[in-house]
Amino acid sequence: MFQLDLKSRKSIYEQIVDGCKEMIICGDLEPNEKLPSVREMSALLTVNPNTIQKAYSRLEQDGWIYTVTGRGAFVSEELHEPDTRQIESIFEQIGALMGQLRYLGVKGEEMIERLKKISEERGTAR
Amino acid sequence: MIQVRGLAKSFGDFTALKDLDMTVETGSVYGLIGVNGSGKTTLIRQLTGVLRPDAGSITIDGVPVYDDIDVKKRVGYVPDELFFMGNYSLNAMASFYRGLYKSWNEERFRAMTESFGLKPGQRLSRMSKGMQKQAAFILVMSAMPDYLILDEPIDGLDPIMRKKLWGYILGDVADRRLTVLISSHNLRELEGICDCIGIIKDKKLGFEGKLDELQNELSDMSLEEIFIYEMEGRNDE
Repeated sequence: MFQLDLKSRKSIYEQIVDGCKEMIICGDLEPNEKLPSVREMSALLTVNPNTIQKAYSRLEQDGWIYTVTGRGAFVSEELHEPDTRQIESIFEQIGALMGQLRYLGVKGEEMIERLKKISEERGTAR
Repeated sequence: MIQVRGLAKSFGDFTALKDLDMTVETGSVYGLIGVNGSGKTTLIRQLTGVLRPDAGSITIDGVPVYDDIDVKKRVGYVPDELFFMGNYSLNAMASFYRGLYKSWNEERFRAMTESFGLKPGQRLSRMSKGMQKQAAFILVMSAMPDYLILDEPIDGLDPIMRKKLWGYILGDVADRRLTVLISSHNLRELEGICDCIGIIKDKKLGFEGKLDELQNELSDMSLEEIFIYEMEGRNDE
């Protein structure tokens, strides 16, 4: 389960949305796996259940999860539309990390080599 | 729903609150914030029917709170400073509460006492301050109130107890639309828990609204920043 960062600039609602997305992306939550109920998630994160509900609604709207009445929320098989905002935000993070690597003396070619390797390793996982 | 309209309260020639309006929707967790001495406790003591307003009205689901036993039975209150009767143990307090509240939930009382690790036979006066606070919460939460009013409740509880306690409270918000009003200076903690906030300024409610709408409007300021902004910023412009 992800942790909330109360010092973050991101609102708690956004942190929950992004946290769930990350768990889905990493495969911590698999397709058709049940998400914690609003009540469970609320106690786990110590967050108002209305905020959790709002985050779940957003995830459903964007196609990340689907709900079955009376049974809860489940991870979707696949995304209907690419999430450009999320993709851009991840590339930004990679950019920042690459800046740090450069500062530490890692050359551009080495970075690309390593990225390729990581991509190949992850490619088989999911 | 808690509705306050045109509330005024003075002590001698000191005006504590005047012309204060407030609305707490059913099922919401409402954070009441304000600087020290702004009148939060005075407002809360009137909401719980301990103090009588000089003017204005306070209703809970349409019923005036002052002097109304039936409404008071639906409201759980944990004050800033606790008061326990004499040499009572937690068990003795529980049987007192059991007689008072029809909604008393024995199962929850046992589960919470165990989960918090308190000895129900021990005298409350022998317990540490933090344990006394836990005892107060166990009693209030076991009475299964429709409304929970907390005056700076969390100070003195360790992080593990806090998380457990919030689990119970937010669980009731999710399960049975418990309405919570909480005053606190711990704005970081309130930020996740509250969906509505009210800020006392100049003896009245200077701001009231949904926290997420306010954060949208103010480009995702933290509650702490919003508070400072509302107290200082808006008026200076």
